[in-house]
Amino acid sequence: MKRLPEKKEISNYIIQSSEDEIKRIALELHEGVGQTLYSVFTGIQLLEANMTDHESKRHVHEMNEILEKTIQEIRFLSVELHPPTLSSLGLLPALKSYVNLYKATYGILVEVEQVGQEKPLPERHRIMLFRVCQEALGNIAKYADTHQVEIKVNWEKDTVAIVITDYGIGFDVELNRDKPGLAVMHERMKLIGGNCVITSTLGKGTTIQLNLPLQ
Amino acid sequence: MFDKTKHYEYIMDICVTTLHDVDCDFVGFAFQNQIGPDIKWHVVAGNQNEKYKHITLRYGKGIAGRVISTGSPMTIEDFPHDILGKALEYPIMLAEKLIYAYAVPIHFNGVPKGVFLIGQRVRKGLSEAEKKVVLKQARSIEDTLSV
Repeated sequence: MKRLPEKKEISNYIIQSSEDEIKRIALELHEGVGQTLYSVFTGIQLLEANMTDHESKRHVHEMNEILEKTIQEIRFLSVELHPPTLSSLGLLPALKSYVNLYKATYGILVEVEQVGQEKPLPERHRIMLFRVCQEALGNIAKYADTHQVEIKVNWEKDTVAIVITDYGIGFDVELNRDKPGLAVMHERMKLIGGNCVITSTLGKGTTIQLNLPLQ
Repeated sequence: MFDKTKHYEYIMDICVTTLHDVDCDFVGFAFQNQIGPDIKWHVVAGNQNEKYKHITLRYGKGIAGRVISTGSPMTIEDFPHDILGKALEYPIMLAEKLIYAYAVPIHFNGVPKGVFLIGQRVRKGLSEAEKKVVLKQARSIEDTLSV
């Protein structure tokens, strides 16, 4: 009799399918729509430079400014969905690229520190670690009431450990254990064979430690 | 355009006056930088922290970004409930822990280039008379910037 897929396999399949789709959309936004709009932007710049009527020139300039902001927003959206560097350069460059956008969006200063040399990880693991960090940073922006976050990525021989520390208001971990924002981080780490440990002290802040054995 | 050396004090006066005249906890003025397309919070009153200094508004996102892209006033009645998009798309509401906000566009040469935002940390809402005060203050800012 044919074996039915286990719950973990189904979860993995669902997450993988949705990640593939997110990556496709991010790439299409960055390389497709973004590039096309950029071509239009430079074309309009050229037209503007050759215009003599002051009023029309001002009008075209305003239109091009809106186009410039739209191109910028498309780039930001693409980084939020799936940083192009995540597939090409690795976890840390992708994390740094997202952190820059995060700082400019929420005004929260994030320091990223790496200890050791980044080791090659399967793309699925890179994506999962990135998503958990993204979820943690999102939770910090929403609930932590902090202006400072530290991320330490520690590459050891057999494991990679990521420690995210905010210095915010903290919360009761036990009371909130089943909240989707926390449960999803535990679940994602479990699916790739890692774990997630959250500790928090009221008034002092929260630490999220992600551990993943290297294959 | 907004020039810090020329306009900061006058706009800060407007923000502080609005904070007293209107039942609110936070008043902010964001405007496009002199160079480049970035829009920043340049003048605020009633702030709880300095996060606003590092925030760059996202065009078309959140209350301020939407007010600038549409050129129309916008109200958030009960953040984070009943909002367009996700709570994470509203950085100034999160940064200043606002529950209610009313924002109006600031035009320059007829084009929306900035936003004047009034926020409350305890939801009370603004009366029509108070909204008129906010609009009047926004027009004063526009007049100052055009000089």
